[in-house]
Amino acid sequence: MNYILKMSLRNLARNKRRSALSAIAIAIGTALLLFMSATIRGEMRGALDLTINLRTGHLQIHSEDYKFENMSLKRVDMIEGPLEISDQIEDIPQVKAASPRLNISGIVAYKNETIGVQILGIDPPSATNATYKEGMVTGEYFSADDREGVLIGLPLAESLDLKPGDAIDLIINTSEGDTDEQRFTVRGIYTTDTPGYDKATIFMPLEKAQTISRTDNYASMIYILLHDMDDTDRVKEAIHAPGYIVEDWVELNKLLVIVEQLSNAMMFFFNLMVLGVTSTVIMNTLLMAVYERTREMGILGALGMKARQVKALFLTEATFLAIGGVLIGLIIGVPLVLYYAQVGFFLGDMGVSANSSFQFGNTIYPYPTFGDAISVSIAALMITILSGYYPASQAAKLEPVDALHSNN
Amino acid sequence: MVLLLKLAWRNLWRNRRRTLLVVMAMGMMMSFLVMYDGMLFGFESAVYGNAIKLSGGNIQIRAVGYEDSISPNPMLPLGNGLDAVQAAESQPGVEAALRHASTGGLISNRTGAFSVSIFGIEPEKEAPLNPIFQEEFLLDGRLLKGDDEDVVFIGKGLADAMEVGVGDRVSMSGKSTNDEMRKRAMTVIGIYDINLASFERQGLYISLNEAQLLYDLGDEITEVILYTEITGKEAPIVEALNASITGYEITTWKTAIPELSSTVDMKNAVMTGFSAVLLGIAGIGIFNILLMAIYERTKEIGLLGAIGLKPRQITLLFLFEGIMIGLVGAVVGTIMGYLITSLLGIIGIDYGFAVDMVDYMALMGSHIYPVFDFDLTLQRAGMVAIISALAALYPAMEASRREPADALHHV
Repeated sequence: MNYILKMSLRNLARNKRRSALSAIAIAIGTALLLFMSATIRGEMRGALDLTINLRTGHLQIHSEDYKFENMSLKRVDMIEGPLEISDQIEDIPQVKAASPRLNISGIVAYKNETIGVQILGIDPPSATNATYKEGMVTGEYFSADDREGVLIGLPLAESLDLKPGDAIDLIINTSEGDTDEQRFTVRGIYTTDTPGYDKATIFMPLEKAQTISRTDNYASMIYILLHDMDDTDRVKEAIHAPGYIVEDWVELNKLLVIVEQLSNAMMFFFNLMVLGVTSTVIMNTLLMAVYERTREMGILGALGMKARQVKALFLTEATFLAIGGVLIGLIIGVPLVLYYAQVGFFLGDMGVSANSSFQFGNTIYPYPTFGDAISVSIAALMITILSGYYPASQAAKLEPVDALHSNN
Repeated sequence: MVLLLKLAWRNLWRNRRRTLLVVMAMGMMMSFLVMYDGMLFGFESAVYGNAIKLSGGNIQIRAVGYEDSISPNPMLPLGNGLDAVQAAESQPGVEAALRHASTGGLISNRTGAFSVSIFGIEPEKEAPLNPIFQEEFLLDGRLLKGDDEDVVFIGKGLADAMEVGVGDRVSMSGKSTNDEMRKRAMTVIGIYDINLASFERQGLYISLNEAQLLYDLGDEITEVILYTEITGKEAPIVEALNASITGYEITTWKTAIPELSSTVDMKNAVMTGFSAVLLGIAGIGIFNILLMAIYERTKEIGLLGAIGLKPRQITLLFLFEGIMIGLVGAVVGTIMGYLITSLLGIIGIDYGFAVDMVDYMALMGSHIYPVFDFDLTLQRAGMVAIISALAALYPAMEASRREPADALHHV
């Protein structure tokens, strides 16, 4: 057994260029697989992060029958005394911030245009609004006791030609089932770099929103952000909110989670293509090597080497190539992925569709995982070794006498 | 020169096994590349195709001035649109051209008022194609009919928000051609449910006839919506349409839903980047195999030198061989790639095993149908041919410079 190892190593060393090129092909393949899986994972994670920070939070507390889509303002669908509950939740150490939010459907009327919007009553000082606060383009963020100010998104401001200080009319649904119209001043214009969201969302201080929609001390939900999304389950259990339900980001982003699964399924097929190309390279190189060394095989056979051993010899060569290639691939791929995971790569202006729950940012941060690295390496190893199987059995099939007579 | 070409061609078939091996390698690699490209487009159609159909089709034909209007739903009639429909449907790749009379408006009852887009459609023509009008998504009531009057077809999201069911009355007002709001009491005739409440809340459907009557359109319409067979390949169709009909504004979903388009572009940019790397791997493979195939023939090169061929001629001979084998490989690869991709394009790849998406059937198909892209494949084929020529050049130059006597002794 030992001499087969030695012989295969020597064979590989005898034709350095060929071995190096084969190994490089495997290495690039492995690095590519690694990079691809990290990118897709990072992209989905980025999308999730964004939608969590913008729309759903890591956790939400709301009444059993509340549905975000309906923006119901009926008392039974809402949370009473939301500030006390959110204060309590902020005491949980893993929680970054928690605050009540009130969703109201409304219509912006400006000049002759009417545009349907979602009016979000937020607690201005809360850290849950950091994304919007940091995204102020012009004008100012509002204070908690602002009774006339609203924040509008950049695309809405552009399409209606509004600037801070301008007045707009809002027609707002109230809990009594009718609508109320009132004039507001645009305090500031924000952007979250997701046009679909920005176009259709207007912010208003919670208290004012409660007054105008006649919802008193009620809110639609408590919106919770965590320091680390992996703590979700633990915090979910720690929350005591009798009479209400707690939903996590997986439940709140079903569609996105499905798209993530879909992307993973897709990746499986794309990975197959990459592995297919790599395996073709290896298989053909080895096959060529078998035919080139036909005479050599004949001599080995004549010297008494069994077919089984010839096969083992070639398989061992393939294995060495695979191990070497995958190792080089990891050496190239891992630092590359880690580097891009830090800096990300910018891909221009990406957005969201208002109709769906997708929120995509414009920079992808690849997200490498240990599991991916392992499975990619194993896949590359297995495929390479398997590709060696056919050439190896071709070599084993040669008759020593015929092989010796061969011209090659 | 001709002699060298002849020699090169004969050399290619002298050692059939070797040539076949190289050609097969190129063919297989190219098929993988072509399949990769095909899946990219297939993926786009599978994931975004229906979303695009739902939110305004692949291509929109509208009256001039639509894009510049501030209003999200300007009321701009474009005539009866039959010429546009005819022009569109005669284009290859267009699945259907649907006439709409749509406008912006409000729907209200005692629960509240909701800003919506009102779509006047031809149910007989649209129902089989638009995901919304599929029986499986019909929650309650029935689909629209062409001669329906005073009835609306709405989504579950809107029905929930308004707390209405089939048979309930709602008040619908929409903007007519002279910018007046027309109010009308309507009965909910049917409710669909595609599990996208926020989408469902934004629009409602009435019959085209009724929309024309309500909003003073006569026999005019406001837009023609085109569904294409493949998502992401609208550009040539738009070009052809611009050439055949005038007086319209033709846009694609890329203008209508820029955020989706940029998402798709991003995916494409990333995946195309990866495919370049993949091509690199294939290139290394082809290079390697051809190097071997030529070093194997060092002795032969010595022989050629011994009978008086100049190094330059020998190099040229091998270069010809490399180009020829590259061309043969590219042709075989194109054919193989075409066959495999087309086959997969017909049967589709079921990815249901990885995803549990019964809830979102309207949005995403359960199969990916790879699409064969001829232009892209030609590019790939060109690259394969170039790589193989380069791969042949290097060893041939090296070998031709050796002393014939040495080369002849090479084992």
